[in-house]
This record gives sequence, C-alpha cells and structure tokens, in this order.
Amino acid sequence: MTRAKRVALWSAVTSVAYFLAFFAYIPVPFVTAEHAEQVLPVLPWWLLVSFGSYALWSLGRGLYTFRECTDAYTELLSEISQAKSELRVKGVSVD
Amino acid sequence: MNPFESNAALTMQGQFSSSNTHKYSVILPTYNERKNLPIIIWLLARTFAENELAWEVIVVDDNSPDGTQDVARQLAASYGEDRILLRPRAGKLGLGTAYIHGLNFCTGDFVIIMDADFSHHPKFIPQFIRLQQAHNLDIVTGTRYRADASPPMPGTTPGGVHGWDLKRKFVSRGANFLADTVLAPGVSDLTGSFRLYKIAVLRHIITLTVSRGYVFQMEMIVRARALGYSVGEVPITFVDRLFGESKLGASEIVQYGKGVWTLFTTV
Repeated sequence: MTRAKRVALWSAVTSVAYFLAFFAYIPVPFVTAEHAEQVLPVLPWWLLVSFGSYALWSLGRGLYTFRECTDAYTELLSEISQAKSELRVKGVSVD
Repeated sequence: MNPFESNAALTMQGQFSSSNTHKYSVILPTYNERKNLPIIIWLLARTFAENELAWEVIVVDDNSPDGTQDVARQLAASYGEDRILLRPRAGKLGLGTAYIHGLNFCTGDFVIIMDADFSHHPKFIPQFIRLQQAHNLDIVTGTRYRADASPPMPGTTPGGVHGWDLKRKFVSRGANFLADTVLAPGVSDLTGSFRLYKIAVLRHIITLTVSRGYVFQMEMIVRARALGYSVGEVPITFVDRLFGESKLGASEIVQYGKGVWTLFTTV
C-alpha cells in the first residue's frame, strides 16, 4: 500500500470516529458528555493551529542550529593547491 | 541453525585482498569537470590509500566538450587502468542512467556515489564504511543537518554547510520539513547524494526508480526504506559552489514539491 493510501485510510477512520463522537452517536471514554460537547467542535482547529506552531518552531530551530563549516572550506582550498602541485609532478594537466 | 549461515554473516565477509576484504567502487558522473576531476581523484586516492582499502573509480562522462575524458585518461595512466575506469557515454543522458551505466563496470561489492564538484569530501568515506560495518547497514548516507551519526557512532564531526545565505538555508529547512511531514523518510537529509550502497541493494533500487534529477536521489532512499533496507547517516560538511554563488530558483522549488507529491502517491 502506498503512503498516500495509508494516510487516506487512517484519515477516513479517524474522521468517521470524530464525526460519530461529534454527533453524540458514540460516547467519548474518560470524558463527561458536557465536556465532550464543548471540546469536540473546536478540536480540528486546535490540531491545525498546533501543527502550524510546530511547523514554525521546527523551522526556527532548524535555522538557529544550522551549522556553518568555514574551516572545511579553508581546508579544502589548501588541499586543492596541494593536489595540483602533486598532480603536475605526475604529469596530469591541471590549471 | 548454523550461525555461519545467517545473511548478516555472509554479507559482512568480503573476498578482496585488503585488510577490509571489501572493494569500494566510486561512480563519478561527470560533465565538464576537467578542472575538478584530477583533484577529486587525488583526494579519493589519498583517502583510500591512508585507510588501506581496495578501490576503483568509474568515470561516467557524458561526452564533455572541455576535455574531461583526456584528463581522465591521464589519471588512468598515472593511477592505474584498474583503478580509474573511464566509461564515457554518447551524450548528456541523465544521472540515473549514468549510475546504471557505471554499475555495469563495477567490480567492487560496495558502491559510493558522490558529486565531483568538491561539495562532497572523500574524507568522510572511512566514516561511512565504519558505520556500515558496525551495523551491517545496506545504505549509509551523508547528512548535512545532523551533528552526530545515526545509529550513534563516535569519531564523527558535526555536519554543516558552507556557502549558503539565510534565504537558501530557510528554503532548505522548509523543504526538509515538507518531506519529513509528507514522506516520513527516516533520514534527516533526503536530497543528499553522498552515499554508500551495498552493490546488490543499489542494483535492486535503481531498477525501481523512475524520477530524474535530484528527486531521483530522494526516490532511492524512500524506496529503500519502503523495501525494508537499513539506512544509516553520517554527518558531513558540504561546501557548496566552491567558485561562485549557490542559486536556487522558483522552478526548482516547484519541481521539488512535485517530486515529493509523486513519491507520496506512488511509493
């Protein structure tokens, strides 16, 4: 099963369960009916906002922890000049 | 049950005459790399000699007009015809087919793919090999976004990038977040192309991949994970565009989005 099909199946099952609970056809375990009535209508929007904030946080953290490697650059430059001198000795054409 | 018969025991042993008993083939697709090719071969030769590994490099040149093949022949004369194999093609036919073409000439049991423009440094290859041997991994990929190896291994340096401005870093992080959410690939760097494969694994995956360009690299890893192959990561430093600026246009971003969607719906 492709990932898209798995995600679609999982979404369908969760949506059906959600709507059954939303229209009070099935009771939500561990929660009183009154609390369920207040929370369920806003649950999808809460999930959306949570996902949005997680995405923003993840991007920010990614940018903050992005490593620069300037010494890799300088090391590479010196290796290139060393390589060029050794290759000229071996008879390979380098600039 | 005979413990010597396990698949892991069979694949961990090699049959080449080096202390490592394996042979590592590097497939290097080139187009107009006359300046870079000698130096990258020099770096590879030095790394393999320092670590006493059996090696070969297969240069798949797409009929470069700048004389890349002449330089490759000079290098073959200098390092040995058995070490530097020039296997050119008639024209610019794409990366995936370059690997397939190169695979026909590999005599090693591991294949390393990398770029020839100094963005990938051969000094990380021994770390790839160490991680692969520690866990008998099928694939080891280099990651620019992690500070440590996965599975953990001592003796690695943190990954990083040189040559990217803030906008490029932002695009890169955004693209990774998208791919992580949509595909959950299990690797931190999906578009990286510095990898070590067991040759049988590479042959298997490459027959299944259909994308082109760098989406091809993404597809290989996603398919590998879907098929149950084990993938490890080693942090690497990535020096982008040694000469000149790194550019990423809107069309590439759109192509990336399409690639992620295609992988989501087909794998």
